Amino acid sequence: MSAVAAAGIDDRALEELAQVVGADNLLTSKPARLHRARVPAPFPVHKWADHMPDAVVLPASTEETAEIVRIANRYGLPVVPRAGGTGLTDGAVPFRHGILLDLKRLDQIHEIDLEDRTCTVGAGVNMLKLNEVLGRHGLIYPDDPASYPCSLVGGRIGTSGWSLVGSRYGHTRDLVLSFVHVMPSGEVIRIGDGGGRKISKSSTGYQMKHLFMGHQGTLGVATEATLKLYPKPEAELSPFWAFEDYESAYRCVRALARQDIATFAGAVLFDEEKVAYLRRDDEAYIPQPENVRALVCSVLYGNEDEVRAGGKRLMRTAREHGARYLGDEISEGDWAARHDRYATPLHGRTKAGQVVPMSWHCEDAAINWSQLPSVRREWHAIVDRLRRKSDVFDDWGMFAYTSARTGVDYLTEIDVGIWEQELDDETWAMWVQAKREIASVAVAHGGSISTCHGACREGEVDIVPEELGGAYDVMHTLKRALDPNNVMNPGKYGLDGAFEEDLK
Amino acid sequence: LSIQDGSAEEIARVNGAMTEEFVDEWRNAAYNCYSSGHKFCREVCPVMQVTRNESWTPTAFHANVVAMEKGELTVEDVAADYVNCTQCGACELRCPNTLFTGDFYRFRTRTVDLVKSVRALAVDQGIHQPGYQRWNLLTEDRKHEPVLGEFTCNGGVGGVPISQDHVADWAEGLDIPIGGETILFVDCEAAFYRTSVPRAVAQILQMAGFEFGLMREQWCCGGPAAEMGYVDQAKRFARHNLDDWRASGVKRVIVLDPHDYITFTEDYPKYFGDEYDVEIVLAVELFAELIRDGKLSPSIPIERSITYHDPCRLNKRKGIWKEPREILRSIPGLDFKDVDRVTQWSYCSGGGAGLPIEKPELTAKISDSRLQTAAELEVDTLVSACPWSERPLSEAGEKQSIDVVDIHELLAESLGIEVGGSRGA
Repeated sequence: MSAVAAAGIDDRALEELAQVVGADNLLTSKPARLHRARVPAPFPVHKWADHMPDAVVLPASTEETAEIVRIANRYGLPVVPRAGGTGLTDGAVPFRHGILLDLKRLDQIHEIDLEDRTCTVGAGVNMLKLNEVLGRHGLIYPDDPASYPCSLVGGRIGTSGWSLVGSRYGHTRDLVLSFVHVMPSGEVIRIGDGGGRKISKSSTGYQMKHLFMGHQGTLGVATEATLKLYPKPEAELSPFWAFEDYESAYRCVRALARQDIATFAGAVLFDEEKVAYLRRDDEAYIPQPENVRALVCSVLYGNEDEVRAGGKRLMRTAREHGARYLGDEISEGDWAARHDRYATPLHGRTKAGQVVPMSWHCEDAAINWSQLPSVRREWHAIVDRLRRKSDVFDDWGMFAYTSARTGVDYLTEIDVGIWEQELDDETWAMWVQAKREIASVAVAHGGSISTCHGACREGEVDIVPEELGGAYDVMHTLKRALDPNNVMNPGKYGLDGAFEEDLK
Repeated sequence: LSIQDGSAEEIARVNGAMTEEFVDEWRNAAYNCYSSGHKFCREVCPVMQVTRNESWTPTAFHANVVAMEKGELTVEDVAADYVNCTQCGACELRCPNTLFTGDFYRFRTRTVDLVKSVRALAVDQGIHQPGYQRWNLLTEDRKHEPVLGEFTCNGGVGGVPISQDHVADWAEGLDIPIGGETILFVDCEAAFYRTSVPRAVAQILQMAGFEFGLMREQWCCGGPAAEMGYVDQAKRFARHNLDDWRASGVKRVIVLDPHDYITFTEDYPKYFGDEYDVEIVLAVELFAELIRDGKLSPSIPIERSITYHDPCRLNKRKGIWKEPREILRSIPGLDFKDVDRVTQWSYCSGGGAGLPIEKPELTAKISDSRLQTAAELEVDTLVSACPWSERPLSEAGEKQSIDVVDIHELLAESLGIEVGGSRGA
């Protein structure tokens, strides 16, 4: 128990936690705590040990989870919820040590309701595994982030995740009908559209579903969710088109999104830097002539008749915009590949051309179509300045994804390779400053810092008050009212400010 | 490097040097995993599926190396965590680093080798898992694994003592000669516990007119010792077997056990280099070929509703999945409800890499979960091709009233062979 004593958590609190979850599900070894501090890079690795929780608990029920939160309130201990730990804004990283609430044992499928087409699952269930089961009934839960094979339903709620095929089926916020939520006080309530467990439309009372999704664990934790199911699509069409320049691809992607095709699930625009990077370093990239400098892909899902008809219209639209179709084989293969990974080869180059292992970092602002070219120019300039300062950074280009069928705004992503083995305090500070600048550009263009990751990583978080204005003050008011002891994921989103006012 | 003698200081210095050498070898592979952070491996991992413990995942096994490099952890801190792996290889297949960047780097994620290396590093530093230590001591003593428990000389299961005198008892009445250019190598589990498997294989070979013999003095292949970190012992056993083969002019070894197949095609070449010029033939592949060529014609209908369990070491480690299906499709009467090999990446019996020695409860859970997927297909029989999987799967099968049968046993039956032997307890 020496590790525990060093970590500074009260022995009585530990005993109480062990009574709740059983001794086997209270982990205090250093490796167990280190592994629950990790999220996808850049973390950063050179500060890994700073973020260790004092203890890890793995509850097996809502009641156990609630009891853990109550204990945390009694002892004033931070609680950091962690589902898959695949989030990209450090939501699951403890800033103040404390109790790490690992939700992976909440992995039961409680109900599959074939009558009303819903299912009810624990927060620790993974979507791919769930769909293996639902597939037997011809159904699918279409929440489809890049982390689909590994992220968990609870984390999707805590971050209010976004789906690659969300234009067709909706995003996590649409697909989660209701959930059981443990409040920061330990009280258990149901959050949904109205009160019914399986209701998707209601105008009773305040609409609280959005509030209790995407809070990154600062307002409690979901333990069980009721999900909307769709028939497994009969057909998929995922054409890829090539363009000679960004401008043509940019115009084409808007035209595709505006066709009002009901089976349209999304479209992705690859900019010139992205194609150059893939050409340079992605072994999975299928060689194209040098005059291919930008790409667009789109995807349709639905029944065969509608996908076929929609596909024809999409193809015609692309042709009219100067697109060259890359053919069925590349289209099917590349969509499968892009869809199945975080779309990066995980290595980059120094300025001298040396290949080095790099981790992937991705910014994901929401930007209106009209602002994309300007944001693109400014973002690449920021990363270019970084790269000139240090070989730790590499520009991996940009994607823009439609986030709604009308194409009103786009998930706008710049991918930056970071050579973590070489990361130190100086380069980390450079990176954090660059993140501030990237976020500022998004806000200055009338956008939002993050479409789906959340915005509480170092750097970007400083710009959140500017983006939200008076709404940020309301966040403080809500935090203080709902979590008076500041136990839920303290330090995130600058919400400590809510309590500093009390101290004054 | 040795830690047998010397002061505490000297031991610490030698251990430190060993750890450093290990970290040097693995640091880039570990960073490739760490820096991706994808964790696509997690939900296919059979241990993770039943424990939900993130410390026992392929990503954690890699991240530990990063932590060791940073001085945050020592091998002593993590040695026991590495017990929780069946070395099935699913994580390697699912890894984006293998799938998408492998060609570029000439790189492949090698979690199985990493787990073996950490276990070996622990053993070399005197850190033992009690079950593994005892198992390998008994194996050293008897030259075969103690698959029937510790006291089988007094009877045990089937009354066969684990010893050199009894390693070929399974072949009683089959008139198999000793030596020859081709020999049949039978793993410890099949030789002493599930003797029906080698009896089936031997009689099918005889029916096809294959000439083969048995080793003069067969020892355990050494693979399990290597999997548990007892590398010196593994190498000694390998040396003995290779010497025995060379002394009697063996050119070809037929194996029926996927674990042996891995040991002979991956470990032995590493140990012996060019000196190792023995052809290794896998019985399942050979039989599929003989059926294809019309040299074996299963004709007696077997009225069973079956599904096939892809043994990890065939499907995931060696990419062998077609041949067993060819064999099953050639047997008349079977109602074969197949599950594709990719879905089966996340299946396992839990019987590999010593997991049942240290964590029998996890093996049982993994087998239960595998039988649950079989039960959903409404079959009466689960067919496997790996003797080591068949014991835990059979135990789980009893609860579901599903019979667990070896593919060689089934083929022999359809060929009209009276197999004999024991299918275990």
